[in-house]
Amino acid sequence: MEVLREKVEEEEEAEREEAAERAEWARTEKMMRPVEVRKQETTLTQETLGELEKQLSEIQIPVSAELPTFAKDTIDISALPVSYKTNTPKEEQLLQLADNFSRQYSHLCPDRVPLFLHPLNECEVPKFVSTTLRPTLMPYPELYNWDSCAQFVSDFLTMVPLPDPLKPTIKREEKALPKKYTIRPPRDLCSRFEQEQEMKRQQEIRAQEEKRLKEEEERLMEAEKANPDALHGLRVHCWVLVLSGKREVPENFFIDPFTARSYSTQDEHFLGIESLWNHKNYWINMQDCWNCCKDLIFDLGDPVRWEYMLLGTDKPELSLTEDDSGINDEDDVENLDKEDEDKSFDMPHSWVEQIEISPEAFETRCPNGKKVIQYKRAKLEKWAPYLNRNGLVSRLTTYEDLECTNILEIKEWYQNREDMLELKHINKTTDLKTDYFRPGHSQALRVHSYKSMQPEMDRVIEFYETARVDGLIKREETPRTMTEYYQGRSDFLSYRHADFRPRVKKLTLSSAESNPRPIVKITERFFRNPAKPAEEDVAERVFLVAEERIQLCYHCREDHIIASKREFLRLSEVDSKGNKIIMMPDMCITFEVEPTEHTKKLLYQYETLMHLKKEEKLSRHQVWESELEMLEILKLREEEEEVHTLTISIYDTKRNEKSKEYREAMERVMQEEHLQQVETQLDYLAPFLVQLPPGEKLTRWQAARLKDECLSDFKQRLINKANLIQARFEKETQELQKKQQWYQENQVTLTPEDEDLYLSYCSQAMFRIRILEQRLNRHKELAPLKYLALEEKLHKDPRLGELLKMFT
Amino acid sequence: MNRLYDSMEPRVIDDDMLKLAVGEQSSQEETGELAKQEGILFKDVLSLQLDFRNILHIDNLWQFENLRKLQLDNNVIEKIEGLENLTHLVWLDLSFNNIETIEGLDTLVNLEDLSLFNNRISNIDSLDALVKLQVLSLGNNQIDNMMNIIYLRQFRCLRMLSLSGNPISEVEDYKMFICAYLPDLVYLDFRRIDDHTKEVAEAKHHYSIEELKHRENLMQARLEEEQVRREELERHKTAFVEHLNGSFLFDSMYAEDSEGNKLSSLPGVSELLEVYPSKDKFVIICVNIFEYGLKQQEKWKTELDTFNECVHEAIQENQEQGKRKIAKFKEKHLMSLSAIREELEMPNIEKMILECSTDISELFDALMMLEMQLVEQLEETISMFERNIVNLVGLFIENVQSLMAQCRDLENHHHEKLLEISISTLEKAVKGDLDEDLSEDVRALFVDKDTIVNAVGASHDIHLLKIDNREDELVTRINSWCTRLVDKIHRDEIMRNRKRVKEISLYIDHMKSELDNLEYSDILD
Repeated sequence: MEVLREKVEEEEEAEREEAAERAEWARTEKMMRPVEVRKQETTLTQETLGELEKQLSEIQIPVSAELPTFAKDTIDISALPVSYKTNTPKEEQLLQLADNFSRQYSHLCPDRVPLFLHPLNECEVPKFVSTTLRPTLMPYPELYNWDSCAQFVSDFLTMVPLPDPLKPTIKREEKALPKKYTIRPPRDLCSRFEQEQEMKRQQEIRAQEEKRLKEEEERLMEAEKANPDALHGLRVHCWVLVLSGKREVPENFFIDPFTARSYSTQDEHFLGIESLWNHKNYWINMQDCWNCCKDLIFDLGDPVRWEYMLLGTDKPELSLTEDDSGINDEDDVENLDKEDEDKSFDMPHSWVEQIEISPEAFETRCPNGKKVIQYKRAKLEKWAPYLNRNGLVSRLTTYEDLECTNILEIKEWYQNREDMLELKHINKTTDLKTDYFRPGHSQALRVHSYKSMQPEMDRVIEFYETARVDGLIKREETPRTMTEYYQGRSDFLSYRHADFRPRVKKLTLSSAESNPRPIVKITERFFRNPAKPAEEDVAERVFLVAEERIQLCYHCREDHIIASKREFLRLSEVDSKGNKIIMMPDMCITFEVEPTEHTKKLLYQYETLMHLKKEEKLSRHQVWESELEMLEILKLREEEEEVHTLTISIYDTKRNEKSKEYREAMERVMQEEHLQQVETQLDYLAPFLVQLPPGEKLTRWQAARLKDECLSDFKQRLINKANLIQARFEKETQELQKKQQWYQENQVTLTPEDEDLYLSYCSQAMFRIRILEQRLNRHKELAPLKYLALEEKLHKDPRLGELLKMFT
Repeated sequence: MNRLYDSMEPRVIDDDMLKLAVGEQSSQEETGELAKQEGILFKDVLSLQLDFRNILHIDNLWQFENLRKLQLDNNVIEKIEGLENLTHLVWLDLSFNNIETIEGLDTLVNLEDLSLFNNRISNIDSLDALVKLQVLSLGNNQIDNMMNIIYLRQFRCLRMLSLSGNPISEVEDYKMFICAYLPDLVYLDFRRIDDHTKEVAEAKHHYSIEELKHRENLMQARLEEEQVRREELERHKTAFVEHLNGSFLFDSMYAEDSEGNKLSSLPGVSELLEVYPSKDKFVIICVNIFEYGLKQQEKWKTELDTFNECVHEAIQENQEQGKRKIAKFKEKHLMSLSAIREELEMPNIEKMILECSTDISELFDALMMLEMQLVEQLEETISMFERNIVNLVGLFIENVQSLMAQCRDLENHHHEKLLEISISTLEKAVKGDLDEDLSEDVRALFVDKDTIVNAVGASHDIHLLKIDNREDELVTRINSWCTRLVDKIHRDEIMRNRKRVKEISLYIDHMKSELDNLEYSDILD
């Protein structure tokens, strides 16, 4: 029987950490008998962790099978470490052991699939599977737990179908940076989807049947419906088994590395397990898999159920106490070595290099930062943040047909957009586009759904009402109406609806920018204002602009069933004869639940009417402003779509120019400071030491001379300084004297200004002279002290001290 | 005072003056014309200006119920009166008058601004009701006692005060004293008090203010205590068992019992009263009644609450149904009205109008039906509640009466004992070996058997009377309470029903007349 074996190597890194973090992982190799139909044989490409990771997976054909030749990868083998190209003696020994083990196995179990023990690595060197695993702890919190870690690995892997799943060839393609691998694909997702669909159908047909029955039947039906799977039960592939016990893992489960989904060990997709391995040992399953993996017992310490290959390495024994298993988790490379001594043979150190994932690569996740996942009738594309200039990070396209030609709808998710756009939903059948925004848009947009960006067309805009001064929640527009919904306003307005008439075409094009549609009717509704009695609190008012009517409807009092209403007619202020009308009784039709004297008065009605007229103007203005605002929003949205600027967090020092500059400036400053520090440590003896032959030890005589020279030099400097001060002092004094003389001579003819000038000069000169005098005195005082200090320092200098001491 | 008007006769505010004033005020263009056309109701007037009219006597203002602002300055008023009805008044100006005492402002609880500038007031008082007072102008008066300032401490909202031109403003410490004692004041004599002054003033009068505050706090605490006690008593009264939680009744039995008091000095009687268990027992029974009453009161209350809740729910539900019916009708009605307006054929119009009016009468029937349903439902519930509450009250009375009977038994027992002692004492007296230290009054009783028996009997009668009175009082009061409660429920329900029927018929009338108008206008068209 020809069996394809493949191994997944890359999850190791994931597993590594996990293992290091003391979850127990075991690699399982098992038969997959997919429930769903596979028409095509597919191969699965496994993606390594790109250039970061040097270890690659391989495919090995069992002993009986011939090794297929496949195109050589373009990996630069020469760059790989020695461990990749050669086997250490210990590894050689291990391989022999494995061969021996394999022979025994094929002798004892001739019917079973040959073991997958030592595939060739990228350098065509056979390596034992366990040594390809190397537990590693990564610095990313996302990789600490299995689910997010598995998600990362699955993002990194790309599936490529093999031409023949039973005669696998390994294709290696170079795609820019990351390298790809061909491995057989478990297209679980498709089938699951089908199953779900099927299940739904089943449920409709016979809701009363049990779930399990349904599933079975479903499987049968599906098998009948489609071609029977020729490879059923023949596929072998690799996946991850997590054993319970550590890190609060309550029970054993499988992880499919390509989908990052976890499956119960009871799952029917997994038909059986041939063998499993981790970085320490290799076990063969001796249990019957007639009932899939449901009856398997994962007690690896039980030699009847699990035939181990190496005796020496500790067996993880779930049935044992904590202490025993505790050893397992703890052991990393160092422990391994130590423990080996008393055991017969221990697993050699892993030959692969430690995985390193740079933050950039981690953020990029997928090779090239892009990944496409094909689902049934759907396609999911993912991109790394900042990869697309418009901030697009993922797109889900759903199709009507299986061939994926007719698009049903598209969902696009964005990140880091300055306009806070989060999701764009395009329904291709209705052509309706809906944009969703996160809080923080400059116009407080929440949702915008539209068919066209043209103004005055059908659209609905929702707002974050707390971010708006007017408390607007939603505005709906059609070509002839506009409806607004409000919340939390001090005037209790909750709703405003405006009906428009088509624009009258104006021939004069003078006012092109503002030609609002004529308003036919404005309806406004209000929440109950608890401060007013219900019969005075307007619930709804309708301005029938065209008919010159205003209708008021009041709130209903708690103990009533009928609300008061009032209607004003004929609002014109001038009657047919041109006389001014103030208020006529027939201009107001009133129904009051509890009529009062007060409101019957014309005066009251007149005042109400005047107020309403004012309000009508305001409302019309509001409607007009809303229209303007809509234009503005549409313009803004167009601009934003055009520019689609992305925001960059100030903590993102790589992308944020400002913080990058700042960081660089900080670094420069640090460097300068460092330089300065170095300078201050300049050697005061250097000029004198230079005169002496370098590299030689000073003689006593030389030291004495050096000291004398140094001291005399310093003395000279002190004297020079004193002289300098003295000279300046004398110069100032002389100048002052001259000036005084000049003053004496010209005193009579001087103007008051000149005299002032002279006096101020004198006082300044006197000040300077006094300071110079002080400095000179101070210098004279300090000079001997400084001299003594230098001498002391010279005596203490490690280069001279000893010699000088002897000298004296 | 008002020299210009000195020559005029002093006047009384009368109707003509008011009408004139109101008319003058509202003469602004259109509104003025309208106002003139139909006249203005005094109760709609919000502000009234009556200055420089030589008014001596305030009168006829009772109609201005909603008045907010009243100006009576520059008159010759001597007494504040006739303002009792103006409870909405916020602003009152009585400056430049001849008022001597502040009075007649007790109902103006909303007053915020009061001006009594330039009067003859010598004492600030009678302002207690003006809790919202913010501005008080008392300049140019004859206030001469600093203690008036302390009176103003109770007005928490007072921010502006003017007292200049009073004798006290001459006092050296005037400003500091006011600032210290009225720390919330912002303006004094139309000047802002700066923080520095406040601090200095506070420092200066710190000690005496602290003392004052302490006294005020004590007073406040006493008032609160009193309040709590009053509320407690009120609660007991609503349970009809006040003063039964102690020996009050027992003590009252002896309070007016002169014979009994005399007899208590008999040898043995004091022992009888001392050890006599009846007092303790008596009090225990009283307390039993008291506690039972409170418990019962809770029961009545829950009964009433449940009833009210249920009734309210039923009414709400019914109203909702009514509203739905009306909304449905309105929708249909509006549509048919616009259809009528658009229709051109006369016969069709008539037909449609007929349809409309049938709709209206159908609505009326439906609404009245709903109301009738509700009335029936409520009637049933009310009578059930009435039965229950009467039963509860009856049970309570019964139990109280039996407890009272125990009291009477105790009293009877006591009476027998007393009689025994008295008789034996009388025997002793007859024998002549009566105790020396008995007073003359008491000796006088032991003349013969009749006298002493009468005396003891009188005492007993008084005691029984007290018990009977208490019992009667309780029973009468609870019965009247019960009757009143049931009456009120019936009355409220009748009122509710009448209101609803009125509401419905008003609406129906309105709809009908609207339809008629439409008819006419159509015919006219």
